[in-house]
Amino acid sequence: MVCAQVETSPRRRWQKVLYERQPFPDNYVDQRFLEELRKNIHARQYQYWAVVFESGAVAQQLCSVCVFVVTWWYMDAGMLSPQRLFGAGLVSSLLGYILFNVIDAGVGRQESGRTWWADLKSTLVFIAFTYGFSPVLKTLTESISTDTIYAMSAFMLLGHLIFFDYGANAAIVSSTLSLNMAIFASVCLASRLPRSLHAFVMVTFAMQIFALWPMLQKKLKAQTPRCYVAVTMLFALAALVGLMTISSVGAVLFALLLLCISCLCPYCLIRLQLFKDNIHGPWDEAEIKEDLSRFLM
Amino acid sequence: MVLKVFFPSCCSSAESGILIGRWISEQNSAVILAVVHFPFIPAQVKQYLSEVQQVTKIKVSVLGSWSNSKQEKEESLSEFLEDLGTIFSHEPWIQISKERDSKFWSCSTLQKQSNSPKEEEIILVYYDQRKVMLSHLHPPLDTTPSTDHKANDASKLAAMFDTVANSKILFMTDRYDDGPIKLTHWQSDGVEASIIVELMKQASVPACMLLTFLLSLTSAICKRRMLKFWPLPFLWSKLSTCEQLGHRLQHLQVISSNKKAQNQIQLMRKANIFVSLLIDVALGILLMSWLYRKNRIGHLADTLIPVADHVAKELQDLLQWLMGAPAGLKMNRALDQVLGRFFLYHIHLWISYIHLMSPFIEMILWYVGLSACLGLTVALCILSDIIALLTFHIYCFYVYGASVLSLLRLYCLKIYGLSSLWRLFRGKKWNVLRQRVDSCSYDLDQLFIGTLLFTILLFLLPTTALYYLVFTLLRLLVVVVQGLIHLLVDLIDSLPLYSIILRLCRSYRLAAGVKFRVLEQKHGKPLRLLMQINPLSYGSVVQTYRLPTYSCYPKDSWTSLCKKLFFGELIYPWKHKGEKQD
Repeated sequence: MVCAQVETSPRRRWQKVLYERQPFPDNYVDQRFLEELRKNIHARQYQYWAVVFESGAVAQQLCSVCVFVVTWWYMDAGMLSPQRLFGAGLVSSLLGYILFNVIDAGVGRQESGRTWWADLKSTLVFIAFTYGFSPVLKTLTESISTDTIYAMSAFMLLGHLIFFDYGANAAIVSSTLSLNMAIFASVCLASRLPRSLHAFVMVTFAMQIFALWPMLQKKLKAQTPRCYVAVTMLFALAALVGLMTISSVGAVLFALLLLCISCLCPYCLIRLQLFKDNIHGPWDEAEIKEDLSRFLM
Repeated sequence: MVLKVFFPSCCSSAESGILIGRWISEQNSAVILAVVHFPFIPAQVKQYLSEVQQVTKIKVSVLGSWSNSKQEKEESLSEFLEDLGTIFSHEPWIQISKERDSKFWSCSTLQKQSNSPKEEEIILVYYDQRKVMLSHLHPPLDTTPSTDHKANDASKLAAMFDTVANSKILFMTDRYDDGPIKLTHWQSDGVEASIIVELMKQASVPACMLLTFLLSLTSAICKRRMLKFWPLPFLWSKLSTCEQLGHRLQHLQVISSNKKAQNQIQLMRKANIFVSLLIDVALGILLMSWLYRKNRIGHLADTLIPVADHVAKELQDLLQWLMGAPAGLKMNRALDQVLGRFFLYHIHLWISYIHLMSPFIEMILWYVGLSACLGLTVALCILSDIIALLTFHIYCFYVYGASVLSLLRLYCLKIYGLSSLWRLFRGKKWNVLRQRVDSCSYDLDQLFIGTLLFTILLFLLPTTALYYLVFTLLRLLVVVVQGLIHLLVDLIDSLPLYSIILRLCRSYRLAAGVKFRVLEQKHGKPLRLLMQINPLSYGSVVQTYRLPTYSCYPKDSWTSLCKKLFFGELIYPWKHKGEKQD
């Protein structure tokens, strides 16, 4: 029927408008309809090694969590004295601080406008508060079962990994929440340690590894990518060795996980890009491409 | 239009004469106040009426004639009565005649100017003159638009009641007076009066003067500068006894003022205050006589110390329980121990204070008991104050729990702190200007301290919340007891006892309206109705004459109270809260 109608009145061309009465039925689709079909216009071509390089951030963070947990294990077992950990943390922090300032020749500091005095003040606040509260932290979770604490810490660390800012532009990313969850987990774990000095050192170490270390990493990555790769490898190796001393099975699993994340996942991503079949056409939602910032003033 | 004639029932057996009363032309009705007998001189009657009119400000005039024929109808009399209409020109001229045999009265009107012979329908309404004069008509309380018609009726009725009530002077002459005219009304057989009332009236004047003098002396002492220094007014405002005494002093001032009450409401208010004061004092003296017999004060003092000890023991047990693992809750042991020891020490202090007081308690109670002669309410207020003083430790616990202990406001700050720290935990903050939660980038040290505090507060919350809960419940118990006592005091203060007694014994004095009962109805004869007074219901008596009290009822509802409790704001007994809101 439709065909017959179209054949009987070929003199009028079909137009994609609603404001004119046309001799076509409502569900009529013209031949030219699919002319505007576009495929995969936003698809990007990834380079394998570039993806592996970027996945370093995820591996780094996993290693951070691993190192933190291993350190806590050592502290809990009494194999690592808090004084040594504090000393090591202090030395590495100072080194990191100098590196942080030197690596971009002070450009970043000038841009952010933070003074040395502000840094010192922040450090003092950290130390004073943590030291002052460490007896409280020690007795905080006495009556709560250890399993609950472990579960809560694991949950919080997982949350930290999920919400961490790896450089992707997504709604779920919240560096504040991520850091807070890490601090919460560290406070929970620190309260299980035998003495208040242990708790103090543990929380300080958590601040160093979860707050300061990623900042340094980010700068390293931006300034000297080669150095960053080396540091990542070293860090991962250190974490693996640390884990090996506790449990060899765990170390093997962790190594597999790291390999999977930094080698297998990029490969999968690039493979799967081939199957990408994204169609665009006039049926899409309207996209406003014009710069509207002048209206927002 | 129907012509209504209000006829006093006491005049139905009066001898023939003329009717005097007031003509209310808007309502087309006549209120007959009295009957003037034959013989009279018309000029004298007119003069008398003008005198009455000057005093009462009511337009009293001759309305018509009244014939009560005991014998056969006399033609001459009826003609004479019609002639009277020409002397006292009134429009219309009402003629009422009662025949001996029949129950029906005949009633007719004469319209001189309009010669139309149309018969106007007449309704005769009998009213009890005494009751109507003494009663006070209350306008309907609900003045919604739907009862507009009702309100109109009430104002019509009020005009009639006012007419009778204001013409008291007319009823002051009885038949033994040697005046030029003889009247029949409700007091014509003799004026009602009571010797006791007259004597009391005479005695009240010097008594009031004495009372006024004493009161001015008391208030002068109270207003001395010495008593206005800082801590004293604050202390007095917290003691309910002082408030009650001040309230009673005001009442006494109202009673003893030599100003005459301007209207019925003020008069009733004075009488209510007087009766409530009397009953209050009588109950107080009764209580006192009960207390001072058989050394009851001594027994009371002897039992008070063990009771206080017992309460302290219970509290200690409660604290011991809280210091363990109450109800299997996971409490922070260190904080638990600190709080428990602190409160135990507090109880210890309080017990030593009570034991220090114990030798004097009987004496104190003896002197305090004397205050019952000022009234039961004062005694109750003192009881409430004593309860407040004796449970001071509970109040202290509550205040510590809610406000003082760790960070000035332990629980309160905790809830507020936790909610804001929770926002910080998620990287948000409360925007005060826009009243919403915004995302915010915090500094590293802010984040760190915030999260540290959040963790600590979160883990300490169950402990503090439990302490707060237990002591809030104890506090609530005390507040409820005090509230009940205050409620009782309020009841005695505000109940209009005089009005209620009046309603009970002389129900016609407080009228809410009237009802009509049909006496006889026969074609050709006027309809006869009996007007009876509807007494005011007890509920509206209390509502109308309720005395104002000094204490305010809680204005906030249960939900807001619960909210306050949840956020750890301090709660007070009702009256303090009312003051604060003012």
